[in-house]
Amino acid sequence: MTDNRLIGLVLVFAPLSLLSFGGGQAVVADIGHQTVGVQQWLTGPQFQDMFAISRAAPGPSTLIAALIGYQVSGFLGAIIATLAIYVPSSIVVYYISKWWQNHPVSLIKTAVENGLAPVAIGLIFAGAVAVIESAPITALTLATTAACTAVLFYTKVSPYLLVLGVAATYLGIVFVV
Amino acid sequence: MLLPKSLHKNTNIKIKRVGFSVADTQDQTVERVLVTPTLFQIFMAFLKIGVTSFGGSSRAQMYDESVERHAWLTEKDFLTGFAVAQVLPGANPVNLALYIGLRARGRLGATIAVLGMVIPAFCIILLMGFAYKQLSDYPATHFVLGGVAAAGVGATLAIGVKVTTRLERHVLPILTALIVFGVVGLLHWPMVPVVLVAVPFSVGLAYVKARKQAAETGK
Repeated sequence: MTDNRLIGLVLVFAPLSLLSFGGGQAVVADIGHQTVGVQQWLTGPQFQDMFAISRAAPGPSTLIAALIGYQVSGFLGAIIATLAIYVPSSIVVYYISKWWQNHPVSLIKTAVENGLAPVAIGLIFAGAVAVIESAPITALTLATTAACTAVLFYTKVSPYLLVLGVAATYLGIVFVV
Repeated sequence: MLLPKSLHKNTNIKIKRVGFSVADTQDQTVERVLVTPTLFQIFMAFLKIGVTSFGGSSRAQMYDESVERHAWLTEKDFLTGFAVAQVLPGANPVNLALYIGLRARGRLGATIAVLGMVIPAFCIILLMGFAYKQLSDYPATHFVLGGVAAAGVGATLAIGVKVTTRLERHVLPILTALIVFGVVGLLHWPMVPVVLVAVPFSVGLAYVKARKQAAETGK
């Protein structure tokens, strides 16, 4: 049972590691679909909580894998999921970085950069939808999302300060209401 | 190719390579001696970045640490690494750390840089996960985290919009983005096969176009 879950964690996160073009944002949608829908390790609201914690925590946002691993299979699960999400991509980056240094082929480089952008954009928006639909939507959360999108797009406010501010506001609402 | 003048001959730092970077004195390029860090220095630098970076601030911190303050690599080298980290799969900040470690100290440096980025942040997020398990019976926990998630979605959307504004305004790239969004975001198709089809298609198109443009400008 536990072993199956550990193998399951590897099978979910290792392929995502190799295909996470566009960074951690791009794999959020698939992490949600896999852990909630396919494997049923988490409920929708639990997944949304994991996403929230990973946004509030320091460091790379892909560490959501560690949180999910911990939730699914304890400390060992956290380690396995973290290795699964970082090791495959790191090996690829290591070898391609070495290759890239010796072959700065501009044409292929341009093509790769231009070609990956549309795919990454599609996945980033899919990630936003996956988090939104994983828990009941309220007018308050919709307003929060809209306001944060606007603030981060038009100003240079640090996303982390904004997240902290939102957490404080919601805590305030809990105590007042 | 400019050759280094006799720079800092008396300092006891290990001189390995010489790079160029823009100096603080206006419009004058000054040669800077690149420093080879110890593995411990690499680990500590990325540990600091790993636990103090929130939402995208890590790039600026890495630039500051590896180019400005310590001169482990040149600015041009950093920018190459930045592009590599962006383009390849994986978490961008971790990829960039790996690249900097690789340039500074080879394979071991790359490993140490990634460990420095991930291990301390991993411990912190586990503590948060542990706290979450203790607090998950309180409705207030889910309410507050719901707010944080909503803000996180806002951050994701803002990044998405920013990247979209830089996308080429042509039918095929826009269509590719829309189709990927539609099948993964709305229809819940698994990402792996979608990406395996979409990436070669999209990169292939971009390659054909880049070659055509290169041929035209070449005339």
